[in-house]
Amino acid sequence: MADDNKALAQGLKRRDPDLLDQLIEQYQFRLFRYLLYLTSSRERAEDFFQETWIRVLERGHQYDGKYKFEAWLFRIARNLVIDWQRQKKMQSLDALTDPEEGAPMEFAAENQPSPLHQVLTAEAKTGVHASLDRIPTVYREVLVLRFQEELGLEEIAGVLAAPLSTVKSRLYRGLEALRGAMQGGAA
Amino acid sequence: MNENLHPRAEKLIAQEHVEGISQSERNWLAAHLRECPACAQVARQTNNALRSLRGMPIPLPRGLAERTQFRVQLRAQELREREPKRRLLWIMCAMSWALGIATAPYVWQAIEWIGQRTGAPLLVLEFGFGLWWAIPALFAAAIVVLENVRQANERDWSGR
Repeated sequence: MADDNKALAQGLKRRDPDLLDQLIEQYQFRLFRYLLYLTSSRERAEDFFQETWIRVLERGHQYDGKYKFEAWLFRIARNLVIDWQRQKKMQSLDALTDPEEGAPMEFAAENQPSPLHQVLTAEAKTGVHASLDRIPTVYREVLVLRFQEELGLEEIAGVLAAPLSTVKSRLYRGLEALRGAMQGGAA
Repeated sequence: MNENLHPRAEKLIAQEHVEGISQSERNWLAAHLRECPACAQVARQTNNALRSLRGMPIPLPRGLAERTQFRVQLRAQELREREPKRRLLWIMCAMSWALGIATAPYVWQAIEWIGQRTGAPLLVLEFGFGLWWAIPALFAAAIVVLENVRQANERDWSGR
């Protein structure tokens, strides 16, 4: 595994086009899924998906192969979304005075449920989909990274740039919230 | 049954999924779940929730990978075209520095001569000499900064 990561790091440093094509194919589903849960918007997730790979191309030399590639990939994607959120927040005051500008896209705050319903169709909005919709983004994100992407706790801490204790507490709360939401949905 | 056992069991149910638990804790939990229907229900709900989460389908947009590959290849080509220019810049900068080092004594003599002619203070002469040395690096840094600003403007993808 370590040798594979080293080889990957070398390829990224060389900006090997075949390697990048292969990585895009290989990680398309997982990256798109992660971005979808992060942004709650299919269109945004598509934009960030493409931009993430452009960043991988440009900053491939920064991947040293010590950690799993997907952890590094998710971190890039997450940073892009955070940058965009910050930029949007700064622009929101302008949007108030500009009649041409539509209402700014809102992301879920730390303790509010996100508008994941934008993504899901009415038919699919049942069971776990609806339950996830009721969970705050910060918890949903760690649940996805841990139980869908099967990243280790330290890898998640790396993606989030947060201490291990924060990751654990978010996971415990997220798990509780998911169970509660599913119970509520089933009732 | 001791009421304190339930919180412990619930904690272990979550911990098993998040961090893992020891064999002795696993044995204790299994024994408790056999006797306690309420905690067994919590364990079942947790397992079901995670199973659903793992198996949740997300439809991938059609052609997303192909479109991304195309964009990445275009960007890679752009970077490749820019690479020789950047290399040339550093080569020129290095050569300029090497020449600067080689000619430093002569330049200092020239600056001293100007100083004698104009009566400029030593501090000004030293500053002039330092600036003459730093010019290639400042020039290269300015080009790199301008290049980065241009790239950032090119990729202002957040505005729709």
